[in-house]
Amino acid sequence: MAIIETVDLCKTFRSIKREPGIRGAFAALFSRDYEEKAAVHHVSFSLEPGEVVGYIGPNGAGKSTTIKMLTGILVPTSGQIRVAGLVPHEQRQANAENIGVVFGQRSQLYWDLPLRDSFELLRSIYDVPRNRYAENLAEFSELLDLERFMGTPVRQLSLGERMRGDFAAAMIHDPKIVFLDEPTIGLDVLAKEAIRSFVARVTAERGTTVVLTTHDLADVERLARRIILIDEGTVVYDGALERLREEYGTHRTLVVTLAEDYPEISIEGATLESREGTIARLRFDRRIISAEAVVRRVMAQYAISDIAIVEPDIESIVRRLYVEGYAVPAQAMRP
Amino acid sequence: MIVARKRFRLEPYVEFAKRAIAREATYRFDVFTGLGSFVVRIYLLRMVWFALYAHNAAPAGLPLHTIITYSAVALLMGLVLDIDQTRALHDRLHDGSIATDFMKPISVPLYFFADGTGEVLFHAALVIPGLILALLFVHIDVPSFPVFAAFALSFVLGYFVGFFLNFMLNCTAFWTLEISAVQLIVTWLTDLLGGQIVPLILFPAFLGKVVYALPFAAMFSTPLLIYIGTIPPSRYLEVMTLQLFWIVVLGAISTVMWRAGARRVVVQGG
Repeated sequence: MAIIETVDLCKTFRSIKREPGIRGAFAALFSRDYEEKAAVHHVSFSLEPGEVVGYIGPNGAGKSTTIKMLTGILVPTSGQIRVAGLVPHEQRQANAENIGVVFGQRSQLYWDLPLRDSFELLRSIYDVPRNRYAENLAEFSELLDLERFMGTPVRQLSLGERMRGDFAAAMIHDPKIVFLDEPTIGLDVLAKEAIRSFVARVTAERGTTVVLTTHDLADVERLARRIILIDEGTVVYDGALERLREEYGTHRTLVVTLAEDYPEISIEGATLESREGTIARLRFDRRIISAEAVVRRVMAQYAISDIAIVEPDIESIVRRLYVEGYAVPAQAMRP
Repeated sequence: MIVARKRFRLEPYVEFAKRAIAREATYRFDVFTGLGSFVVRIYLLRMVWFALYAHNAAPAGLPLHTIITYSAVALLMGLVLDIDQTRALHDRLHDGSIATDFMKPISVPLYFFADGTGEVLFHAALVIPGLILALLFVHIDVPSFPVFAAFALSFVLGYFVGFFLNFMLNCTAFWTLEISAVQLIVTWLTDLLGGQIVPLILFPAFLGKVVYALPFAAMFSTPLLIYIGTIPPSRYLEVMTLQLFWIVVLGAISTVMWRAGARRVVVQGG
């Protein structure tokens, strides 16, 4: 049985219509005209227990709105929603027992208190049995290296330390589901990796379902095998990460270092993406022309000193999807 | 689908209160400045009353030492009642962290109540050194035990009136996000119309009638007038019933405001 299920989930926000300028601002004080904006539009998906899904999309796509509805702090305009068998906005407190949340932009730790006190407080909030609490804390403390700053008030922690604390806090009560919203934003490479491996390990051990929203697609590649892509409130792709790469990642780039300075570079079947000095980047569609054929043509026409083929990373695939649209990828992306 | 309602657990709220005490204790500087300002204010008030009484006979039949007792006890009460114990509600609405509170399996208004109570309990502990200072610096009257017990009960009732006033005030942040201007006005009103600075019995006749009908009097004036004996034991029931009336009314308004505010958050996304 699915642990998270949404059917035709919609959320429409109403705001007072506002004309530009000072006059408009004053008029808005007395205005009765409303504007409606669909933040989430007929979103349906279902997750099995233990699944890790990347819920991604550009800014304002409706990611956070969906997460707020799944956590029960926002009431949907229409549609159905079930999280571990509960309707989150109707059973907010019961739903809260089942979930853990990490917001990269906002801490759930208690600002004035030492980190350890925040954990103690969470223990009593979630009524975690003492021995289980001790086990979890010991494990997390070791994985995230928390011991050093357990006694430090949260407001004095660095961002990396605070985020590590926040992850431990979100998992301390063994939630069935965790929502991670931009969890690695602003962190350095080492901290990102520490957190990713923590999430990978702890959620796999416990069979936790993970919903990850992020702009850093490296997070998704590292943790999720499935992604749901959302844009303008609508799901535009739902499936395996690999399939996305297969279907949309049809282009490769051949990076050529020229041995001589040529005024112009042109290869039949490939387009020149960029050129900086002696380094030229040629893009081709692997379904139309093979890498081998492109390499052969390059070597026939120019003297080269180095050559490399670059696979598209998920980041560039998604970036192109945002820009070029999602419909019929094979046609849309043909050069 | 029938969902068994989980048993209510008091433990998290006791913990919230304890952590609030611990948090307040970390601001040690505040404690000393609070006591320092108490001494300065009580000394200034004493000077003012001395000067006034030098030119006038006792107004409203209050002898000098009674009015000084009144002022000192009012300042001591202020150590507790002047705290905006639900400020956290405004703060968490303002920076949006209220969302994380709603994601926890707790009653959010009870959380604010517990947190505020912890804060107040910490500051209430300062009343003892404050009282010793008051006894050292100025002469204050100490009433008989039954009168003191009535005062204490009335003080607790006054605390709840103040709690709901503050809670309502902080609830307005659901709509306005910014409350400092309104707060300033309410602080002045409670100090002046509540009788903390000048006893309400010294107000001119018409104004005097109005101020007794306001909830502010239920905070400071009622317990204070019990303390100095202006309200005799025969009227205890009447004045405390009025305090209770305000608790019920303000509590009801607070509930309505909280529900409307929380609804606004869950419908409009804050």
